[in-house]
Amino acid sequence: MTLAHDPEFDSYDPITFAVIKSALDTIVDEMAYNVMRTARSHIVRDVLDYSTTLCDRYGNIVTQARTVALHLGAVPDAIAAVLARYGDDFAPGDVVIMNDPYEGGMHLPDIFMFKPIFFEDRLEGFSVVVAHHCDMGGRVPGSNASDSTEVYQEGFRIPPLKLYRQGEPDESLFRLFEKNVRVPDLVIGDLLSQYATCRMGEREYQKLLARYGPRTVERYVAELLDYAETMTRRQIGAWPKGTYSFTDYIDGDGFTEDPIAIKVTITVREDDLLVDFTGSAPQVRGALNSTLSFVKSASYLSVRCMLDHEVPNNSGVFRCIEVHAPEGTILNPRPPAAVAARALTGYRIVDTMFGCLAQVVPDKVMAAGEGGNTVVCIGGYRPGTNEPFILVDMINGAWGGRADQDGIEGVTNPSQNMSNLPVETLEARYPVRIDEFGYLPDSCGAGRYRGGLGLVRTYTLLADEALLQLRSDRTRHPPYGLFGGEPAAPTVNILNPESDIERLPGKTTRIIRRGEQLRHQQAGGGGYGHPLERDPQLVAHDVRNGKVTSDYARKHHGVVMYADFTVDIAATETLRRSGSEEQRKWPEGQHA
Amino acid sequence: MPGEADKVTNGVRVSADIGGTFTDIVLARDDGGVFSLKVSSTPDAPEQAVIKGVVSILELAGARGEDVREVLHGTTIGSNTLLEKSGAPTGLITTRGFRDVLEIGRVRTPDLFDLTWSKPEPLIERWARLEVRERMAADGSVVEPLDEDEVLETARRLKDQGITSVAVCFINAYRNRAHEQRTAEILRSQFPDLAVTLSTDIQPEEKEYERTSTAAVNAYVLPVMRKYFARLAEGLRAADVSSPIYVINSSGGLSTVDLAAEKPVYFISSGPAAGVTGAARLGASIDAENLIVFDMGGTTAKAALIEGGRISRANEYEFRAGISTPSRFIKAGGYLMRAPNIDIAEVGAGAGSIASVDPGGLIHVGPRSAGAVPGPACYGLGGINATVTDANLVLGMLNPVALAGGTLAVDIERARAALERDLAKPLDTSLEDAAVGVRAVVNAGMARAIRAVTIERGVDPRDFSLVAFGGSGPVHACDVAHLLGIRRIVLPNMAGVFTAAGMLAGDVEREFIEPLSTLLEDDALQAAVKRFEELEQSARSALLADGFRLESIALEQSVDLRFENQDTTLSVPLNGIGEPGSAEVLRERFLQEYERVYEYRADDAVELVAARVVGTAYRAGKLDFRSYRLTDADSGKAAKGEREVMFAREAGWTPTPVVNRHAIGKSQRGPLIVESSDTTVVVPPDASVFADEVGNLFVEMEAQG
Repeated sequence: MTLAHDPEFDSYDPITFAVIKSALDTIVDEMAYNVMRTARSHIVRDVLDYSTTLCDRYGNIVTQARTVALHLGAVPDAIAAVLARYGDDFAPGDVVIMNDPYEGGMHLPDIFMFKPIFFEDRLEGFSVVVAHHCDMGGRVPGSNASDSTEVYQEGFRIPPLKLYRQGEPDESLFRLFEKNVRVPDLVIGDLLSQYATCRMGEREYQKLLARYGPRTVERYVAELLDYAETMTRRQIGAWPKGTYSFTDYIDGDGFTEDPIAIKVTITVREDDLLVDFTGSAPQVRGALNSTLSFVKSASYLSVRCMLDHEVPNNSGVFRCIEVHAPEGTILNPRPPAAVAARALTGYRIVDTMFGCLAQVVPDKVMAAGEGGNTVVCIGGYRPGTNEPFILVDMINGAWGGRADQDGIEGVTNPSQNMSNLPVETLEARYPVRIDEFGYLPDSCGAGRYRGGLGLVRTYTLLADEALLQLRSDRTRHPPYGLFGGEPAAPTVNILNPESDIERLPGKTTRIIRRGEQLRHQQAGGGGYGHPLERDPQLVAHDVRNGKVTSDYARKHHGVVMYADFTVDIAATETLRRSGSEEQRKWPEGQHA
Repeated sequence: MPGEADKVTNGVRVSADIGGTFTDIVLARDDGGVFSLKVSSTPDAPEQAVIKGVVSILELAGARGEDVREVLHGTTIGSNTLLEKSGAPTGLITTRGFRDVLEIGRVRTPDLFDLTWSKPEPLIERWARLEVRERMAADGSVVEPLDEDEVLETARRLKDQGITSVAVCFINAYRNRAHEQRTAEILRSQFPDLAVTLSTDIQPEEKEYERTSTAAVNAYVLPVMRKYFARLAEGLRAADVSSPIYVINSSGGLSTVDLAAEKPVYFISSGPAAGVTGAARLGASIDAENLIVFDMGGTTAKAALIEGGRISRANEYEFRAGISTPSRFIKAGGYLMRAPNIDIAEVGAGAGSIASVDPGGLIHVGPRSAGAVPGPACYGLGGINATVTDANLVLGMLNPVALAGGTLAVDIERARAALERDLAKPLDTSLEDAAVGVRAVVNAGMARAIRAVTIERGVDPRDFSLVAFGGSGPVHACDVAHLLGIRRIVLPNMAGVFTAAGMLAGDVEREFIEPLSTLLEDDALQAAVKRFEELEQSARSALLADGFRLESIALEQSVDLRFENQDTTLSVPLNGIGEPGSAEVLRERFLQEYERVYEYRADDAVELVAARVVGTAYRAGKLDFRSYRLTDADSGKAAKGEREVMFAREAGWTPTPVVNRHAIGKSQRGPLIVESSDTTVVVPPDASVFADEVGNLFVEMEAQG
């Protein structure tokens, strides 16, 4: 028996424990479903860039729905900011919102909403919905530019404030929203969706409290956190002790193309981890700076991916991970640094963590994936009207190869679990046409298990003029392979691929005109293990499916094929032998 | 006399429900007599069990093949074909630039933090997904005309590769079907033996992945389903049964076998749906309008909602290998179908589910199941893992000697040993506590399925009665009800074959939908009236063509609405065409419904999304749950004795009478175990039970303290 028993809590019952755990999981899933059904913007209702959680009264995450994973670890710091501002000044019916990165938030488009849950006049916890809003005002539509230089340019900044007091809406705050964002109908519609969902979470949690009694639920919630901690410590305790390091890069901050280093040093201690980002780049001029809360969140997530599936998703896991990032770096910036594009930095933290953890638990990691979603934001006015439109499109992605299977193609980054905007939905609502959406052959990193293929998405503007903001990466630092696996093809952005071809940088803000085309080729996933060790039949299968070409098969895997897609075994063996001396060498040190 | 049939005076109707282990057959005579039978399923040729069962039950009921008026059928062929990946070699023809839409899907993963996950192989591999030059704009105008030569060339390539069935899905075809239709003409004239599925014939709605996937599933199962229905019809004819055959669709309605052979994607969940519609009919017969349907078999439990007599339906679902998660907002890892279906939540908790303890000390039950073979430990057929059935046996819930009316011997010592080893030891508790724990966990899982169709919809389960059936439903129903605060439980007569019985009570339904896609204003509402008239005409013609008389046809209209910019709609029923007349009235009705579900209102514009007409043809001579007479082997038998049962840990072992179903009459207090050949009903101490004239049992739970 390994459960931490509280001596004062002698009526501990594993059955009630299991029932309360599944009830909590059900509540947050129901909340997530409720957001999807009531939201207005595509970024929330189709792409699903939001998350739902329940917290105890101290701000510990009790459980999280299967929504955006990277929001998970930032909630405790956010609640701390709310508590710092309001103390115990909460009443039933209050609702607090905030988005200020320098007071608990992440970046301005992500509005946190907290509803204190009361039961029998006592604060018992918080019902929480975090949603990415499609516009927060500021200098560019979508409020998400990579090339802002201070947070003041990025939009409407909200410290912890009560949007509702005892059930009554704060009209001044709503009116400020109406005047500060470009598409108030969508933003307020999504806020109402968050509100309805917070209430639903509160109601369901209250039912649980009524059923089992608030003190019993409190005990079991504490037990659930301990349980996650115990399981985490046991697993980390089995990892090889030592200090490990890894560095990965972001291409540049949108102003310069100087590589931005993310360096991590992980120390595996007795049964917990020290994650230290000393050595990472100083804070940057552009908007890639990430709050420390988000750095912690990305670190927790990376470690959580190495743990067994049964470990509950709650704050107990976080207790076993100490995160450090020096102030003044890109991972702990001083105000008023711009932060809108911090998600990209979060993805790179995860890549860096995985690369480092590959040295600790090589069977559990994957080689680098696409490097995080690409954000294509096209904003302007509908033809013949003064009605604004803001398309925020997100492109995801590919996974790197794994110890026992290929990476996945056409899949969300594991940090996100977001969806995609259907081409038909996009075309019905925006003056934009999608000319292609598919896999890019040969874009995977070769390996015993190859990475996923990168995606291609091509946009044609059908309005007279629009502002294009592109946030992509991995154009110069392609996703790394592991243990002899090759890196994937890098990201490529091309303007007007069929006429006056122009290579665009990874991050750009520029005007485009009617008929102009943007072709985005996203990086694929890196390979895992040596490409010459790949089963020739798997290579043949890929060639038949046009996922890799026969030239690629020969060059990277030493596989020779007949025209009917069967393997020429003799020729393959000869080719693999001849190439093996040189090709079998593993790259030393870093795999990037 | 039991087992002895009266002379048939009129016709008979037969239904068949194919399950994993047994195929259930029910026969209803026009005079109200009902017979049931279980025969072993024949998975390699499922129609064989149906044909054999029909022949046997006709004999039992003293009827001949020519007396059969209708054969009603629920089949799992569709879901099995997907599960086993045994469909036809299938190809896809799509718009240039979009061959990967089917495989990319909606890019989500079913769980967080799981780097071991893999996408299922698409039903159509990339080499068989080919592109042609054509393009429609979002407004239906032609951006690029269809390259007809390329269609021919593409089809030829697919045929050369052994493809026998093709799905066609073009971008924005939901706005203009011309290119899809022209493609079908070319394919049908040049390659007549190629099966062709057009995405817009199945469901002409926005979202390319959903439409492509739906067409792909249809194309994939079509040749298999078509052949199956042909063999079934042929086999029945050989047994002198040449009546019409109706098939239950995923939405629970009956359709002609011809439709099932052409649009099989509507029939993938044919089996479970019949149980829900049956429960709705049963509910009508006992004046219960608000029901939670709970169907528990060997590997899964299913839940669905009937509110105000109406079944909760959804327009989209995903077929997964293994068990569906009750978390329905995830779109990942399955074969998605945009086809009307009953909103059924399914969890991997059944009588055969295997129980275990994780290293942290939590009990888990399922989703692994011991199935029928090797089965629970107590069967002694090779299964060694502790299952839910073993826990029930140890607790005295089930007969310690034999199940299924004495036909299936069990060994309680094997059950005890398995539970001791797999649970009691690692948990460091008593055997009984471990068994109670297993039951509690499995009951919580089933409650979760029920929550998915109730609380998630803003519906309080306490306002409902629980209808429980399937072999194990009545064993767990009262405890599950207790968890959710449900006070009234209905255990239908024939619970073990209820799904097949439910088909006999069904009607034939055809649904027709037309997208409207406009803001809710008076003019738009006027224009919608014309659409409704066309839809009604289509529905009526279809049912007349199925052979129904005009006076047996009823039409229901509803309109799908949402706030502007939302994705999900709410359906608001109308009382006839042209009702309610003004946009303001309809808006208010929508707001009321919206507030009921989501608990808030908004001032925003409301969008008219679609017009919907459901045509129902009422079958003459369908099974009436009010007045049938079941003929079975248990009739006339009385009490069976007493045994010790542990209902809860605190209560300890409780001496409990064991009786035959027919022995229940006016209200009787629990605890009580009711054994019949198809199931066991467990009535806890804090409840009472009574039976009605047709043998349905009703359990009333006492107020919870």
